[in-house]
Amino acid sequence: MIGIILIILAVIVIFVFIGLYNRIIELENRIDNAASQIDVQLKKRADLVPNLVETVKGYAAHEKGILERVTELRTQLMKAKDIQTKTKVGNQLQEALKSIFAVAENYPNLKANENFLHLQQELSDIEDKIAYARQFFNDSVLAFNNLVEKFPGNIVAKMMNRTEKNYLEIPESDKEPVKVKF
Amino acid sequence: MQKVNFYDEIKRNKVLSWFLLIFSVVFTALFIWVISIAFGLDAYIMLIIAIVIAFLTSYLSYINSDKIAIAMAKAFPADDVKYRHLNNMVEGLAIASGIPKPKVYIMPSPEINAFATGKDPKHAVVCVTKGALEQLTDSELEGVLAHELSHIKHYDIRYVTIATVVVGLVSILSQILLRSLWFRGSDDRNGNAIFLIIGIALAIISPIILRLVYFAISRKREFMADAGSVEITRNPKGLISALRKIEQFYKLNKKTLVSKSTAPMYISDPYAIMAKAFSTHPPLEERIKKLEQM
Repeated sequence: MIGIILIILAVIVIFVFIGLYNRIIELENRIDNAASQIDVQLKKRADLVPNLVETVKGYAAHEKGILERVTELRTQLMKAKDIQTKTKVGNQLQEALKSIFAVAENYPNLKANENFLHLQQELSDIEDKIAYARQFFNDSVLAFNNLVEKFPGNIVAKMMNRTEKNYLEIPESDKEPVKVKF
Repeated sequence: MQKVNFYDEIKRNKVLSWFLLIFSVVFTALFIWVISIAFGLDAYIMLIIAIVIAFLTSYLSYINSDKIAIAMAKAFPADDVKYRHLNNMVEGLAIASGIPKPKVYIMPSPEINAFATGKDPKHAVVCVTKGALEQLTDSELEGVLAHELSHIKHYDIRYVTIATVVVGLVSILSQILLRSLWFRGSDDRNGNAIFLIIGIALAIISPIILRLVYFAISRKREFMADAGSVEITRNPKGLISALRKIEQFYKLNKKTLVSKSTAPMYISDPYAIMAKAFSTHPPLEERIKKLEQM
């Protein structure tokens, strides 16, 4: 009688273990997926740079400085391999793009240009997507950390040699208040 | 904000969907049994045929629920070039909620409303009215879209579609029973009378009960989708503002192109607002109050 109970208990434990193991893998994969999602959006943003530079050049030729900087940053970004460099250069590119749009305020013809407006909206939308992708990444890290730190997940995690992952830090400039649309 | 475990919500919905399906099979079998005892063999065969047809139509309408919903709304696909900003918004929200980007459709109506459909996140569709695009700000539109994406992510659509189909099935069977009473002569009077009465009672009560259950569960889901929307956008104000605008519109205009049968799938049931009828959606004031607490 005791034997049967023990066997049933053992089976239950095995199933719970398998469930937790799989869930840890699943959440880990979700984090990887989230990271690559961010990369995809960052790349899309960088890819719009040449088009933007061409459009602005036509109207604001003597803003060469900022245009060159933006092109330079894009090249750096394409060469970057590790996540730290990518993040750092990516943030610098974001700042530079903001400067371009600030400068564009002085050129009413540029501001009326359809292509420019389209690029402006597109870049703004991509920034939103980057923000959402980062949010999803951090949500995934939270779910993973919860599972791996709480009981009984922590036991399985120890066996799998997994510990908590780090959150993404949002760049300071992103912490501005939400833009108001009139 | 009260942290709800959405993983559990998804699992619960999937389980409930299966439960509802099994319930419909068991219920139908019971139905057959009661009818066969009450009426005798030939009605039994007729009923089997009718049930097969009912199941077939139910299954087909489940599989094609998205096409049906879109056709009834007369919706057209939101072209990626012409409606770039809308598509970008949907994509961003889909990224934030971890589901693939659903297909985006537009319903050519001046009212403010939206719905989502499709049997799982991989085959999902989200549809907004032209009026919504024109009258809602980006933040409000995001709140509405996020609410719909929440439904998709939680497998609400699947559950609601199956529930609708089951309710329809039970109604059809009940109708068949009540109708066959007309044709039944005075042949079998004895103990079968009891089963006849049971059968009739079942036929009348079950559609009502099922409908009540379906409504009750729908209301909870609407609250959950509101919460899910805030989880995605991290901002309840957009959705609150949108819900107010929606209520305003329907109170003023009293006109809708939404059909009564698909109304439950929309973010706001126009018939509920216009006529204060018993609806699948909780009252807007209640929804707004809950959102303000987030």
